[in-house]
Amino acid sequence: MRAQPFRVETMRSQPDNPRLSVVVPVFNEEENVPWLAAAVSTALRELEGGWELLLVDDGSTDRTAEVGEQLSRADGRIRVVRLARNFGQTAAMQAGFDHSRGSVVVSMDGDLQNDPGDIPRLLQRIESGYDLVVGYRVRRKDTLLTRKIPSWVANRMIQGLTGIPIRDNGCSLKAYRRELLDRMFLYAEFHRFIPAMAAASAGARIVEIPVRHHARRFGTSKYGLSRFFKVLADMVAVVAIRSFRKRPLSLFGLASAASALLGLAFGVAAVISYLVFQPDKANALVLPTTLLLSLGLSGYLLMLGLIAEVAVRVHERRGRLHALPIVCEVRP
Amino acid sequence: MSLPSDVRQTPGTPDAAPPVGLSVVVPVTERPVDLAAIWAEYSAPLRELGLPFEFIFMVEPEFRHLAERLATTVRGEPGVRILVAGQVVGESELVKLALEQCRGDTVLLLPAYHRVEADAIPRLIQRLGDGVDMVVARRWPRRDSWINRVQHRALHALVTPLAGGRVHDVGCGMQVIRRDVLADVPLYGDLYRFLPLIVHREGFRVVEEDAPQHRADGHTRVYGPGIYLRRLIDLLGLYFLLRFTDKPLRFFGLAGSLVSLAGAAVLAVLFLQRVAGQGIADRPLLVLGVMLVVLGVQAIALGLVGEIIVHMGAAGRRPYRLARATSVPPAEPFPALNDGVYPDERESAGEGAEADGAVLKPVQAGAYGRERS
Repeated sequence: MRAQPFRVETMRSQPDNPRLSVVVPVFNEEENVPWLAAAVSTALRELEGGWELLLVDDGSTDRTAEVGEQLSRADGRIRVVRLARNFGQTAAMQAGFDHSRGSVVVSMDGDLQNDPGDIPRLLQRIESGYDLVVGYRVRRKDTLLTRKIPSWVANRMIQGLTGIPIRDNGCSLKAYRRELLDRMFLYAEFHRFIPAMAAASAGARIVEIPVRHHARRFGTSKYGLSRFFKVLADMVAVVAIRSFRKRPLSLFGLASAASALLGLAFGVAAVISYLVFQPDKANALVLPTTLLLSLGLSGYLLMLGLIAEVAVRVHERRGRLHALPIVCEVRP
Repeated sequence: MSLPSDVRQTPGTPDAAPPVGLSVVVPVTERPVDLAAIWAEYSAPLRELGLPFEFIFMVEPEFRHLAERLATTVRGEPGVRILVAGQVVGESELVKLALEQCRGDTVLLLPAYHRVEADAIPRLIQRLGDGVDMVVARRWPRRDSWINRVQHRALHALVTPLAGGRVHDVGCGMQVIRRDVLADVPLYGDLYRFLPLIVHREGFRVVEEDAPQHRADGHTRVYGPGIYLRRLIDLLGLYFLLRFTDKPLRFFGLAGSLVSLAGAAVLAVLFLQRVAGQGIADRPLLVLGVMLVVLGVQAIALGLVGEIIVHMGAAGRRPYRLARATSVPPAEPFPALNDGVYPDERESAGEGAEADGAVLKPVQAGAYGRERS
């Protein structure tokens, strides 16, 4: 027998690991946490195979962590992961994923706007063969101007750029197959682009299902849609990462070719203007200079593409790049 | 008196020495004063504290004469080690070299010149623990000359917004830190100067403690323009490190798109003029427009390469740190995947949502490679 390819597999085979982990990043949600635990507990009452609820305290300044630990003492299925300070939602989610043990993981918001009653439906979709199930909020209970409209614009842009038809990237209620979490690592603020990251990191099979959405009961909204530019930059980054992971040279190669074509156009213009208009010497430099600038850019982009190629190859050789998709076996 | 030039060859193994609780590290690299005076002045209150301690002087080779003089002074004194680096390395590396030799769980970082009055030191040390990972001395009350004050203000006008207003005296250099924390933070180049900010960024708890400024620290210091330029570059590096390490495109993308947009505006004007019938082949403005677009695209492209490098490094690197003090033991971490052996045989697999119909189950252990269960 050959050694297990991944250390994770031996971990998963332990019988006391639950079937489902629910990961909830919480930041100053002391009023919501007991309600949340009760709602999850009620929703999963009839689930076979066991579940666990991971409350990830993202450096709260109120008593969120203490309340969570109290709940944990009363019910061993509730566990608390405390972060040293506020690291942001992405890092908190990754912390929850790293500490979860279930073969399926569900993430949701800690403010009770998602309905834990939807979790069994998400779980069922994972077990029917999807790697990532994304909720989209029907009849969203948020303000129109500050939340719904920016989110609509952002979602359309993400759709257009990534080509993944997800209506609602901002909905935290998602379910993940463990094999996907083994390959996808969230950092910076990429929790907004989980479907795109899942596709980039693991070629995940993704499905979107409608979920319920409630108005906030306590507290105020913590994670609003951040500034437009940041989201845009991150969006472009995700698209580039996805392209790089497949063929590092292609993106820069295309840009380089476009730049070379532009240079060619300037060159043709230079020849024509020289033949037709015979400009005097000083002005004759304008078009050839633009030609050289464009060709310079073309060469520069090609070289950057080669550097990107080197970066990807180095990591692939170390075995740290899990670009292979999740494999499923079809059983009768 | 001869001194070893490499710490690794240092004679006298520390194992034989009595245990210490506190290691005092003195990196000797710029404008050092008499080291024996430093040792005498700052070791006195430590003796009263009753905590067993050791002094480690880590000296740049150019100050070897100071090290030799100190060695003659403290001859026969246990708990003083004087080490000379083999080459000029800078403050961060001196501290790292000294850290390899430290035996105490707590490290007091002491500049090789007078900063605060020695009586404040026990208070700094006692403040550590109870969730506090690092204590930074803040020179207060101050006895500075006005020129020093202006410099101090100017530096902090730039640094404080970066640190979210949490730091009042970043240049003091007198710090108490847990040894495992110091060993855990990235430290290189000129980052040592901003150690409190780095330690905080890594998720540790840093507090400030007032300590009266030393009477010798008040004299006016004016440096050459090169030093100020270097400080500015350090600040730029720190700014990038604290804000954009994980998201380089936000930085390069902003710079690049602003420049590109300016270029595009120039080209748009030229285009409109061309449509209106004016020739553009003799307009130097065309060169400007194309140049700005080219520069902008270059910046954005660099940012993209930065993104792919960060993304590659993200596998298995945890972007958070767990809290230390917790009444319920933290949940067991799931073992990271990235240590695993990578299978060499690849299988084709469907991408996209074609899962409806047939029941698909994840393949069990071993099936990624050659065998199927």
